[in-house]
Amino acid sequence: MPPTPLIEIRQLNKSYFNDGLETPVLHDVNLTIQDGEFVAIMGPSGSGKSTLMHILGFLDRLTTGQYLFRGEPTESMDPDTLARIRATGVSFVFQAFNLLPRTSVLDNVLLPLYYHPTIPVKERLQRARRAIEDVDLMDRIDFQSHQLSGGQKQRVAIARALVTEPGVIFADEPTGNLDSRSGIQVMAALQKLHAEGHTIILVTHERITAEHAERIIAIHDGRVTGDERNFRRRLAKEELSLK
Amino acid sequence: MRVQDLLHEAGHDITANRSRSLLTILGIVIGVGAVVLMTGIGNSMRGVILGQISNLGPKAVAIWPGKQGPEGGAPGMNAGADSLKIRDVEALQKLETITDVAPMVFLSGTASYGKEEANPRIIGTTPAGYTSRNMEIAQGRFHDETDEGGTRPVAVIGPDVVKDLFANNDPIGKRIEVGTNRYLVIGVFKPMGSQFFQNMDDLIIVPFSTAKSLLARDYVDMVSAQATGDTDDAISDIEHTLRRRHNITPPVTGKVTDNDDFLVRSAGQLQEIMGTVTLALTLFISLIAAVSLVVGGIGIMNIMLVSVTERTREIGLRKALGARERDIMMQFLIDAVSLTFLGGLVGLFCGLWLNLLIAVIVQKYLADFAFILSPTGIVLSLLMAGATGLIFGIVPARRAAALNPIDALRYE
Repeated sequence: MPPTPLIEIRQLNKSYFNDGLETPVLHDVNLTIQDGEFVAIMGPSGSGKSTLMHILGFLDRLTTGQYLFRGEPTESMDPDTLARIRATGVSFVFQAFNLLPRTSVLDNVLLPLYYHPTIPVKERLQRARRAIEDVDLMDRIDFQSHQLSGGQKQRVAIARALVTEPGVIFADEPTGNLDSRSGIQVMAALQKLHAEGHTIILVTHERITAEHAERIIAIHDGRVTGDERNFRRRLAKEELSLK
Repeated sequence: MRVQDLLHEAGHDITANRSRSLLTILGIVIGVGAVVLMTGIGNSMRGVILGQISNLGPKAVAIWPGKQGPEGGAPGMNAGADSLKIRDVEALQKLETITDVAPMVFLSGTASYGKEEANPRIIGTTPAGYTSRNMEIAQGRFHDETDEGGTRPVAVIGPDVVKDLFANNDPIGKRIEVGTNRYLVIGVFKPMGSQFFQNMDDLIIVPFSTAKSLLARDYVDMVSAQATGDTDDAISDIEHTLRRRHNITPPVTGKVTDNDDFLVRSAGQLQEIMGTVTLALTLFISLIAAVSLVVGGIGIMNIMLVSVTERTREIGLRKALGARERDIMMQFLIDAVSLTFLGGLVGLFCGLWLNLLIAVIVQKYLADFAFILSPTGIVLSLLMAGATGLIFGIVPARRAAALNPIDALRYE
């Protein structure tokens, strides 16, 4: 028997309703993602790729269809169960970083641990420090978030995403607000996490960013138009040494 | 999220917006400060009034002459009324429900010793007056039946008079002048404060017979006594006796009516009346102060609603990181309660400090006015402040908690 997929969606449809007006965004999407994959969801803006990621990451709910997370149907889950999955099973890296303002790097990375139901209080600090070390920001640990560069902010966001060891990290255009070198650094951090066993689901509109993933799912006008292995995988670490 | 974590976050939120937090809690500071101050002063006033009455003992009874208004009128407002005759007093002295029945007449005139002058009250009364008013001798002796029988010109004086006329030197054996009469000082009584609204320390007491011979009249200004048993029995006994002697039809209800040409009150009754009056006053003032707490609470609600809007993206982020609705709600509630509690604390200290200041000033004029620190008042005001935060924080907190994570994250 094949292992239970991490994510399995069947006939997913999503529409937004505004003043009774239905705007369909996703049409009959079928998708399976296994543990340990590095997947890029690629498409132009307005294609529905972010909406798909939000549904996969439990930030938004589907309209019709089925979403199995580790084999469990999610449609009928109550808000507390969804919150528990967000706290323990998934985490996010956003394009706009979304760090807490006027808050130190350490406190930003500590934040998800407050909502984690099982990690003991006395382990929090140690875990946060380890996550910050993983993204090479120990020398900035007491800096306030506004004192950091864009690339550093995104690395703090990555540390925050991995501090709970969630299994899946969703990255929504993580390089979108960064210069190319900082962007590659962020991709290097994600590739490192993937190598350590994390599942990474990356959303991007750029081919070049998507090519850091092992698998590229193309999406156009709310429909999956391609799903292929990426055999010309870019390695961010090498790109950095070339620059 | 644990409560400690929430408090930590609240502390962070409050200090991050220091000036806004300060302005927000100002209403609460004023509200709690006003409640604390007003109840403090109310308590002190109650202490003054109840203290005056209670050093008489609850069984003390006073009778004033004159017609009272339908509500009973204020005691002692009928100076000069001649309805309480000396023969009435003699009849009252025969009653078994009261003892130490002492007639009192008020004399007028300025008292002097050498160059010093003073305006104490001068009362002529019998030795029973001392016992019925619970007076104690500090120096020398009270006047006795021998002094009464001999119509002797002697005087027992209060500590204020010693201070005013003798500059606190020994007054025993000295002669003081009141008008054209001279009195030998034979005793000084211990400080008593006030009784039945008279300052007892600024008093000269002379034998009743001596005063009577000066005034040459057959009525008295007041009668003081102690009930032997139940004060209500004593009062109805006195009323019955006086009505019979004055040919007054008793009122149907048994209460004081327009017909009575006298008023009887026990210290217990006065204590009750004054206690009720000051309590009502305190409650009334506290109510006004509580209104400012409500106004402060609306200020809190307003700022919390602004804060929820301002922090919509943060709320979205927290939800994305796994915060439950409960966590978000608690965070905003604890924010609001911490703010109001802090305001309550500041208000409490301001109120107590002002109260102390006022007490120190008023004590110069009203010695019995004491600063009373009421632990229930303190706990109550802090609880009220906290409750204000809870009540006015709940709407913004619920609004924050109900936000959909992705809508909140996308909020511009």
